Amino acid sequence: MISFIARRLGQFLFTLLAASFLLFAVTEFSPGNVASKILGPYAVESQVDLLYDKLDLGDPLLQRYTKWLGTLLGLSSNALADPAISLGLSDPRGARYFGNLGFSLMQKEPVVDVLARRIGHTVVLTVWAIAFIVPIALTLGVISGVNAGRPVDRGISGLTVTLTSLPEFVTAVALLLLFSAWLGWLPGTSTMTAGDQWSAASQLVLPVTVLVIASASYVTRIVRASVADTLRRPFVRTARLKGLAPRRVILQHVLRNALIAPVTVILLQVNWILTGVVVVEAIFAYPGIGSLLLQAALFGDIYVVQALTLLALTVAVGTQFVGDIAYMLLDPKIRLR
Amino acid sequence: MSRLRQHPYIATLVQQYSTRAVNRREFLRTATLLGLSATTAYAIAGKIDGRSGTARAQSNKPKGGTLRLSTTVYDVKSPATASTTAHPLIYAQVVEHLTKTGADNVTRPHLLESWSPSEDLRTWELKIRPGVTWHSGRAFTADDIVWNLTRLLSDEAGSSVLGLMKGYMLNAIDTGEVNERGRKILRHELWDANAIEKVDDRTVRLNLKAPQLAVPEHLFHYPAVMLDPEEGGVFGPGANGTGAFTLTELEVSRRAVLEAVEDYWGEGPYLDRIEFIDVGGNEQAIVNALLSKQVDGAFQILPDFFPVLENQDHLAYYEVTTADTSVTRMNVTHKPFDDPRVRLAFRLAIDPAKASAVTYGPFSTPAEHHHVSPIHPEYARLDPWTRDVARAKALLAEAGYGDGVDVELTIQQNPPHHLRNATALAEMWEEAGIRAKIKVVPNAQYWDVWLTAPLGATVWAHRPLAVINLALAYRSGVPWNESGYANPTFDRLLDAAEAVPDPVARRENMAEIQSLLQDDGPIVQTYWRKLFTFYDKRVVGFAMHPTYQVFCNELALRDG
Repeated sequence: MISFIARRLGQFLFTLLAASFLLFAVTEFSPGNVASKILGPYAVESQVDLLYDKLDLGDPLLQRYTKWLGTLLGLSSNALADPAISLGLSDPRGARYFGNLGFSLMQKEPVVDVLARRIGHTVVLTVWAIAFIVPIALTLGVISGVNAGRPVDRGISGLTVTLTSLPEFVTAVALLLLFSAWLGWLPGTSTMTAGDQWSAASQLVLPVTVLVIASASYVTRIVRASVADTLRRPFVRTARLKGLAPRRVILQHVLRNALIAPVTVILLQVNWILTGVVVVEAIFAYPGIGSLLLQAALFGDIYVVQALTLLALTVAVGTQFVGDIAYMLLDPKIRLR
Repeated sequence: MSRLRQHPYIATLVQQYSTRAVNRREFLRTATLLGLSATTAYAIAGKIDGRSGTARAQSNKPKGGTLRLSTTVYDVKSPATASTTAHPLIYAQVVEHLTKTGADNVTRPHLLESWSPSEDLRTWELKIRPGVTWHSGRAFTADDIVWNLTRLLSDEAGSSVLGLMKGYMLNAIDTGEVNERGRKILRHELWDANAIEKVDDRTVRLNLKAPQLAVPEHLFHYPAVMLDPEEGGVFGPGANGTGAFTLTELEVSRRAVLEAVEDYWGEGPYLDRIEFIDVGGNEQAIVNALLSKQVDGAFQILPDFFPVLENQDHLAYYEVTTADTSVTRMNVTHKPFDDPRVRLAFRLAIDPAKASAVTYGPFSTPAEHHHVSPIHPEYARLDPWTRDVARAKALLAEAGYGDGVDVELTIQQNPPHHLRNATALAEMWEEAGIRAKIKVVPNAQYWDVWLTAPLGATVWAHRPLAVINLALAYRSGVPWNESGYANPTFDRLLDAAEAVPDPVARRENMAEIQSLLQDDGPIVQTYWRKLFTFYDKRVVGFAMHPTYQVFCNELALRDG
């Protein structure tokens, strides 16, 4: 187990290095000059040049990447925090500490603070969405799989195939029209700001519903296929021949074996929601990681984009690790090496 | 030095309005620019035309409440580098301008009590309003103005005020060095050590390198707010200011909260608190927030969403006619636009009325390819522009492009009406043998190529005088001359127009300038845009401003 964790950690660090360097390289070819974006269209060329030099944007790619890495590891201080270069950037933690992700050029604040404000909202959205996705998908998937080929299965399958094929923005706009514009039961945006006349809970209803519709339908299909497949396996027939009650066969023998494939899919959904549901967050103006990623990418805020990539990698590796443990628990024949 | 009391032209202006040689709007705007107080100007106008009208309608507005407005919440640490008209929505409630151009397009003194230009418009005396104090209790003085203007005009501040005032306040110095990209390193310095001169604690004198009528308008440029020198040019929650509100909370891209101060020197404030809410730049989300009453008003609404909101019982519609536009400018340093016959052919192939209707529908009016709007006081009426495809083809053939010409038109991705305008142009050009490929780029990328792209469509914000835009965009060698246009005749005519305070006399110059731009100029211009928005009917005192400004100290909220 320890060697498994150590190997996974090594793979994670390698992936992280490769991905963060690739991102730096890609931004070399992305359009726009961050200095001119900060100063806006009406700054004269000499002003843009001055800021460009202050931000060290002219340094070679490898040099800038090494600086970023050194700052992240706390080996070097962040040059942008130097008051002498008059950028007005300051970090209360100091210029050198482990985990220093730099400054957001868009928000002129430490990236750590920018992320801290957003991540809580994304976690809330994820927790609520998963809390509905898992029971709904498991219930409908099992009912459908157990009744494969019957009308109830055809009904559930028809519904889930239809909902899976709907893009999130279509579902979101349809729900907005119905519940916000027409009935007036729910708010049109979910900015989650204090003092809003709509409660935080009511603001969560529509974004969570869109995520549940998009994700639960897909997971239901996977559970259904897995249950139907498991039901055809010899140990299920043996259990039935032993005279076990159908309910017990399903809960004790089928479900446990049928869950291995859906666990992977459910963990991928967690990964997806936690690291960037850009469309849903943009439509509902939800202040999470997805909308931040969109804004940072459009602005060319490389340090925020880098930090979000780091976060996405961590979540991906973390969920994969949880998945491996779950496989082992579900099927004792599986051993982690 | 010239006399600095009431400008001598004001008497002539009164006479002109009496005989209706100028209209009411031209009278008010020019009289106030020349230093007459808005109250006096309105009073004189009222005496002449019998219309009641006040500079400011103060009524018994209700007090209290929180106003929630939808806008992009930008970082505002450095107002000097503000780059959009949405930036000042937050900081200008706290730190204020010396002057104020109202929704009626009339510029009035604000932190100033008055200004007095010399006859030759090269010396401007600015008098501070008595009783203006910082929130800290310190009096607002001439030293504050000198510090702020000097800073705004320095390279280090990075402010677009530099580009705006460079022509009459600064000299560009070639340091003889080149930067890493091989470009000359230029520095700017005040053209004269006394260019910004403190006369006494309440008076500052601006001594200009060249005549300039629009100084009061430039002092209302959105980054030109007065910051407390003790705070070193940094703004944020708790920053000292002279305004009606103080910033208590700022979360970029999310929300800003401001609270009313006591003993504000001017009107109001009536509200207890303002919250600016950022819904992430998604136009649909702004509409949704208005529909579900999560905000009381929006920065602006695009025409695509007008039908959704027009019949909402709780919303009121506000619009303003502006000189906001986009020009399709041809960079004359690139072929084929170095040939004036080609530039004229590009204009002759276009019917602005049709393009305007396609671009912005009923929310626009056709332009005439010269960047002077009918709402500008110096606008000269020329013969109506007529599309002439046959002549356009002939001109292209004469210029050596008998088989037509292939061009690439670079436009910004948002808002969507840019693409509609470009498509209308491309369709009409095609009939004249001009084959245009439209290249849509992200907005931020456009500003990297706006000065260099051979053919591009650039947004030009509303400015109350036509000469301001013309000086910024078409004078030879100025920083924002995106077309590279350099015509000594145009420069001479513009110099003359800028030195003439008389709108009637200036109109004669303008007729020549407008005709010259139609014949020789570097732009194809098809529309002027109206700006509009919706506010909750509970909001009292709002008027749509041509540059989107909201004066929150004048706003109030009714119950219900």
